[in-house]
Amino acid sequence: MGLPLFDVNNDPGASFQALMASQGIDLFAPVDASAQPSAHATTVVAVRFSGGVVLVADRQATSYKIASRDTRKIEAADRFSAVAISGSAAAGLNFIRVAQLAFEHYEKLMDVTLSLEGKANYLSTLVRQNNLTTPFTVVPMLAGFDNNHQIGRVFEYDAAGGCYERSDYTVIGSGTDFADTTLRLGFKDAMSSDEAIALACLAVYEAGDNDPSTGGPDFVRGIFPIIVVVDAQGFRELSGEESATRFSAIRDRRISTQGRAGGDLR
Amino acid sequence: MSMPYYVSPEQQVKDRAEFAQKGIARGRSLIGAVFSDGVLIVAENPSTSLNKISEIYDRMAFAGVGKYNEYDRLREAGIRWADSTGFSYSREDVEARALANYYAQHLGDIFAEGQKPYEVEILVAQLGIRQTPTKLYHIAYEGTITDELEFAVLGGDADAIRERYRAGTSGTGDLSGTLQRAVVALSGPDRQIRSSDLEIGILQDAGTRRTFRRITDGETDRLLGR
Repeated sequence: MGLPLFDVNNDPGASFQALMASQGIDLFAPVDASAQPSAHATTVVAVRFSGGVVLVADRQATSYKIASRDTRKIEAADRFSAVAISGSAAAGLNFIRVAQLAFEHYEKLMDVTLSLEGKANYLSTLVRQNNLTTPFTVVPMLAGFDNNHQIGRVFEYDAAGGCYERSDYTVIGSGTDFADTTLRLGFKDAMSSDEAIALACLAVYEAGDNDPSTGGPDFVRGIFPIIVVVDAQGFRELSGEESATRFSAIRDRRISTQGRAGGDLR
Repeated sequence: MSMPYYVSPEQQVKDRAEFAQKGIARGRSLIGAVFSDGVLIVAENPSTSLNKISEIYDRMAFAGVGKYNEYDRLREAGIRWADSTGFSYSREDVEARALANYYAQHLGDIFAEGQKPYEVEILVAQLGIRQTPTKLYHIAYEGTITDELEFAVLGGDADAIRERYRAGTSGTGDLSGTLQRAVVALSGPDRQIRSSDLEIGILQDAGTRRTFRRITDGETDRLLGR
């Protein structure tokens, strides 16, 4: 490819998608519906706390068998936001790449970062385009720290691309029911980051425990859910050891009650 | 009856070069310099929003002097080239040499065939990693490309600034030392450039994928010991 120069009337502006379209590349090309079944199912939760947001995601990709035990479903969309996916793995990974690049491309061309709301709205279009052109549906979430308002914010989407901001928490994936119930019972306003991490981990633990397509903590292989915090300092992923400590604590509490949940956040 | 008159190729090239040089000389100059753990670009630029220096990719920066609308279009093309190349292949495959060559070809073509040559000079800086070297590619208005390992000066006053920079402390200094040397070279013996009239961008490893950042006025004061 040579130097992509455009005259003023055909300039694709700061949109990465329009740039690729000008080169004949459709980022969401239609796929034959009779193709292989794609890996799917997931639980990702995002919880607001006083200084930002916490995200926790399980690691399992599922087809007719367990396709992968160490999938990453949360990525940094940019320095102050995280994007997570549920649904088709193939379409989801493409979705994350396009989202990351779209934000960065805009930032470099315009020399200013998109607002968090701008990013959230932009993803709506991507969801709609993907889900209307392929059977490999993606339902993402966006969570981040809003530098204009100095708060953490979470956005969820439906499969048609509708974007909804939530004031407390959001969940995506097949384990939604179990995680949502846990979060609903445990959520408090203005939690500390530590409380929010504990609650979000418990929600993913519950989902892993009850949803066959969500992977819980894997103590045998040492694979643990990914924990991410986005606050005024930006995107930060907690270490595998830290995740192991958090999930081991939940396991130990469950062992002491012979597997029964309930009580004070067991 | 008007007669088509003959202009020799030598004369034509000379006229065009003079035209471009005059345009470039109207603007302020800039310096790109390698320091101990990164690449520094300093431009004299009173505007805070019309930038001469810009991020292109993870380890690549752009700078231009001359006519703003012309080099800004080249800057945009560079970002577009880098982002779509990295998306199609891999982020590792985005290399400054390839982009510098495209710029050189484009400027060369415009110089030879266009209505008028571009009145710009541009710099493509790359921060090295593993097999990729730290390099400064300087591309002139007619497409001449040079690669520098230590520093490059762009703009109308380049020769004098180059001499002054050379005369400064030798060897590769830290960010603060290199910046002081560059600012002294840019300003010359009988004036001082205010921090707010300097635009500064650096490529420096800080444990993140993207290495470009701008230096604010406050940090500039600190680095210059003002």
